[in-house]
Amino acid sequence: MSYKNKKVADVAEVLKTRLDQLEDPTTILRAAELRGLYAEIPLLPAEDRRDFGQEINHLKRELEELVNKKQDTLQALPLIDVTAPIDSNVSDAKRPRLLASSQGSRHPLMKEIEVISDIFYRMGFAVEGSRQIDDEYHMFDSLNFPAGHPARDDYDTFVTTDGFIAPAHTSTMQNRVLKKYRPNLDSSGSIAVLIPDRVFRNEDLDARHEHTFYQFEGIFVGKGINVGHLLATLKTFLSAYYEQDLEVKTQPFYFPFTEPSFEFAMSCPFCQKNGCNVCSYSGWIELLGCGLIHPNVLSMAGIDPKEYTGFAWGGGVDRLVMMKYGIEDVRHFESGKLEFLRQFK
Amino acid sequence: MKVSLNWIKEYTSVKVSIDDLVQKIGAQLGEVEEVTDLGKRYEGIVVAKVVTCEKHPNADKLHVCTIDDGGAAKHVTRNAKGHVQVVCGAPNVAVGLHVAWLPPGVTVPSTVEKDPFVLEAREIRGEMSNGMLASASELDISDDHSGIVTLESTIKPGTSFAQAVGFDDYIIDIENKMFTHRPDLFGELGLAREIAGIQHQKFESPNWYRKAVTEQRQGKKLSLKVKNELPALSPRFMAVAVSDVTVKPSPVWLQAYLSRVGIRPINNIVDVTNYIMMLTGQPLHAYDHDRLCEQDGTSAATLVVRHPAKGEELKLLNGKTITPRREAIMIASAKKLVGVGGVIGGADTEVSETTKNIVIECASFDMYSVRKTSMEHGIFTDAVTRFNKGQSSKQNDVVLAHAVEMILDLCPDAGIAGSYHDLKSAKAQDNATKGVTVSSDFVNERLGSKLSLKEMATLLENVEFKIVSVPADKTRLHVIPPFWRTDIEIPEDVVEEIGRLYGYDKLPLLLPTRGIEPAPHNSLLDFQNTLRTLLARAGANEVLTYTFVHGNLFEKVGQDPQNAYQLSNALSPELQYYRQSLAPSLLDKVHSNLKSDIVRGDDNEFVIFEINPVFGKDLKDKDRLPVEDLRLAVVFAADEKTYTRKYEGAAYYMARHYADSLFDFLGISTKYKPATEHHPDQPISRAAIAPFDVDRAAIITSTTDEFLGEIGEFSAPTRRAFKLPPATAGFELDVRQLMRVAAQNPGYTPLSRFPKVVQDITLRVKNEVSYQELHSTVQAALHDLVQDSMMVVVGEPRIYRSEEDTHHKHVTFRLWVSDSTRTLKAEVVNSLLDSVATASESLGAERV
Repeated sequence: MSYKNKKVADVAEVLKTRLDQLEDPTTILRAAELRGLYAEIPLLPAEDRRDFGQEINHLKRELEELVNKKQDTLQALPLIDVTAPIDSNVSDAKRPRLLASSQGSRHPLMKEIEVISDIFYRMGFAVEGSRQIDDEYHMFDSLNFPAGHPARDDYDTFVTTDGFIAPAHTSTMQNRVLKKYRPNLDSSGSIAVLIPDRVFRNEDLDARHEHTFYQFEGIFVGKGINVGHLLATLKTFLSAYYEQDLEVKTQPFYFPFTEPSFEFAMSCPFCQKNGCNVCSYSGWIELLGCGLIHPNVLSMAGIDPKEYTGFAWGGGVDRLVMMKYGIEDVRHFESGKLEFLRQFK
Repeated sequence: MKVSLNWIKEYTSVKVSIDDLVQKIGAQLGEVEEVTDLGKRYEGIVVAKVVTCEKHPNADKLHVCTIDDGGAAKHVTRNAKGHVQVVCGAPNVAVGLHVAWLPPGVTVPSTVEKDPFVLEAREIRGEMSNGMLASASELDISDDHSGIVTLESTIKPGTSFAQAVGFDDYIIDIENKMFTHRPDLFGELGLAREIAGIQHQKFESPNWYRKAVTEQRQGKKLSLKVKNELPALSPRFMAVAVSDVTVKPSPVWLQAYLSRVGIRPINNIVDVTNYIMMLTGQPLHAYDHDRLCEQDGTSAATLVVRHPAKGEELKLLNGKTITPRREAIMIASAKKLVGVGGVIGGADTEVSETTKNIVIECASFDMYSVRKTSMEHGIFTDAVTRFNKGQSSKQNDVVLAHAVEMILDLCPDAGIAGSYHDLKSAKAQDNATKGVTVSSDFVNERLGSKLSLKEMATLLENVEFKIVSVPADKTRLHVIPPFWRTDIEIPEDVVEEIGRLYGYDKLPLLLPTRGIEPAPHNSLLDFQNTLRTLLARAGANEVLTYTFVHGNLFEKVGQDPQNAYQLSNALSPELQYYRQSLAPSLLDKVHSNLKSDIVRGDDNEFVIFEINPVFGKDLKDKDRLPVEDLRLAVVFAADEKTYTRKYEGAAYYMARHYADSLFDFLGISTKYKPATEHHPDQPISRAAIAPFDVDRAAIITSTTDEFLGEIGEFSAPTRRAFKLPPATAGFELDVRQLMRVAAQNPGYTPLSRFPKVVQDITLRVKNEVSYQELHSTVQAALHDLVQDSMMVVVGEPRIYRSEEDTHHKHVTFRLWVSDSTRTLKAEVVNSLLDSVATASESLGAERV
């Protein structure tokens, strides 16, 4: 690197030469010459300060790079044979070994997804993963969102510069899953799939909002499937999950991919509707969105909506886990804090 | 959307309690966010008549008044006539006025939310004042605090103020999201209809809504020209001029309507347009007619619907000046822009107190275009909220006529200044209502209900659907939705309508039935769960980290940002790219955890792992979608003190031990090749190896050379970037490959009835000979030598290098030799070892 300012150039040369002779190369960064340059800044005419300051900063960065390189060679580690399972001259007592089982842990979200998946698996649902990058067709078009429709705004999606989308719901898998399991309709007569996975929303982080979280999506398609089936299925799942009989209720909602659409609430399993912190003393907990699959969504997956009907739902896993354990801050999940993680064996 | 219970009661009756109504709205209309008891806020405020009004003896700007409250207030000092003394500072106070009186003990409504101010009887400059006479601002109606509110003299003194102006109201706020497809529910009229429907009551739209008023007072004629250059984007454009209006604050009753539903009153003309919008969902706009003329320098006002010219600017009502997007629907006079159609009006043609003549516009605009313009310029108004739901263009005429009617009522001198202009596109003129035919079976099958055709018809007719019976068919209905129901297009929409109006909570719950075929396993998900369980059992902690990473992470670990998908709307630079490998995300969690309390203690060490996909632009599937490359990353880290106390050798081998243990659990045999010999072409593979120190890293493959992943210590720049301790190492595996290889697990070997012979063999080789070479040679020799019935297992090696001879190492293999048919003799085993030694001579090895 060359320096336009003569003073800086001179100091650069002096320091670079000195660096080679130093035992501890980091001392060069504290050299008097360098400090001297910084001290000159306030003495300069205001219009020259910026350029001069930038030059010194460049020099400092160059020196840091050189120090790093030098340190890397000075601290070069002894050669090892990476094909060997063990280093040489290791005593038996100090061989590598696994850490204590007792400190191992699985992530609470993954554990909960296993629990949820297991209940639905026992109810006859296949389980599928979702995607973390998808196209507009699967995220919106195949779910009956007209192009440019304001309903797309409700999803606050992240998009890439090449036009891909970070899915904001696991429904991004509906079209694929319906197609994959379509042959079921001929044999067993129904499609039953659970899709638990990671989704994204362009939302600022706080104790209750994450931009990265987990949903569990369910799809059921068969002959003569109705709203009562949807509600009964969710009620059965929740009663199994909370190991108690729960009440359920709905509120009309709007999703482009279901008709009719609902918001679904269960009676609070933590206070049996007597009122507690978890349900904000309302006795009810709003849990997920659901509805009968829109005929256009079925058609787009090659299923005749005149012959078959179905239902779908999507709910948040993070929320279930937070309520279950009384976790106070959703940000803990992706924090990588062992203090948090090791509590979930 | 705020429902004013008093307002909707003008159009339908409500026969249930407020609590039941709220619950019903929740179950059948949409989520109720908040219910406000407005009456409570105005409790105790009384309408009073000013009886006397004298100048305050000790203050220039104050008056001492006595008021007649009809004796309504209790616990208040009265004079001989039963009147109450109040000091008032308003310039407009005068004898005979009917005013809003806040007696002592009442809280000033505008202070209820912040810092409640409770009035009392107290002396003001020596004169007793019992409470106060209130301005619109103090009553929280508008921002006007220039004087006290005056009410119609027809209101009897002593009447509750809340009752007199309709503030004895409940406001039920319903979440807007529910109404994305229901433009009609952005008006109180539509809400009233719906509330009738869910109570199973018949609703009838008022007369003015069914047929436009035709006989209206004529005024001075004004010239108005209207032109629509964008009939596709503005299917209907109506406008009418009204002359000789008197612009002033609205009467209190009108202000109160707006205030109840959250709209600030401005002046009588603007208030009427807002009132009509809140009632019908159709936004209106009023222009100053004379300002339109002035702009063009003519005596005729012109309104044109067009796109903006390049660079054309408009100063908006909110004070901002914009250069509208070229595709925006604009309203212009003959020469200049005057408004953004469906979004916001212009400042220069705004109706103000000096306005004499106005033009009122009632138009329809394309919802997509309005939405785009609103988003692009960041302008969100009540008009946008309504237009972007797709308001029907069929109500413009009745709405405009009703608005004009109200203005003529409020301005006694005003009159229609010409004819109504009505520019309609073919689409807007299309009155053909196709309707939808559904059978009762179709509906009942989807709801799980047993409703009769007649019950279905009644539910729909209650909210003004037309039911045309299908001749000679007693199983089907032909449903013609009213024009405002733009959401009813297919039979399923009718199902929703019937289900909702009937009440979903009345439907029977029944589980679906299915065959007893077993649900299929998902082997990839099962495999991931196996990995999690194994690693957790091995003392490792599973973490989840963000899919998105900072661009400078690539620089730090030496990955190419060009190959990473970049977000165009990232929340922050921290989350701008899709990650290309998993290990760096784990390395990011090392330093903070080593410093944290949990691992501080005797053993400051941990192993963390994550299973998640990574992304590179070079990997696309057959549908041109990015391939999600599923990885498992594992990282070991320990502080220096812990590491040197517990272990010997490089940290690399700690990672190796975890990898080998995992492979062992899975029954996979692997090979390790120095990373220095690994030169991948694919950017995503280069990204995977980048964070590692190639001199201290290896590539893991199956014994049949299927690639599995990378393992090693991390490069100096990576260590620096994440402040890693020297004892950090890890590996990253391709999960799908691992599963494939694990599936080839050979399985079971029958047990031998004969004893095993255990023998060590130590070979001395030059350092340059890698363990892998030596091991392969030994294995190959054994493979050639061992007979069918024999089996040799090579155990964990020991490697030793003496201080005297640092150029060589001693590798000791422990062999377990057995034979399923006989007890092995020492000679057999010895000759086996001899042959192994001989074979290793090819590598310069020497048996010791």
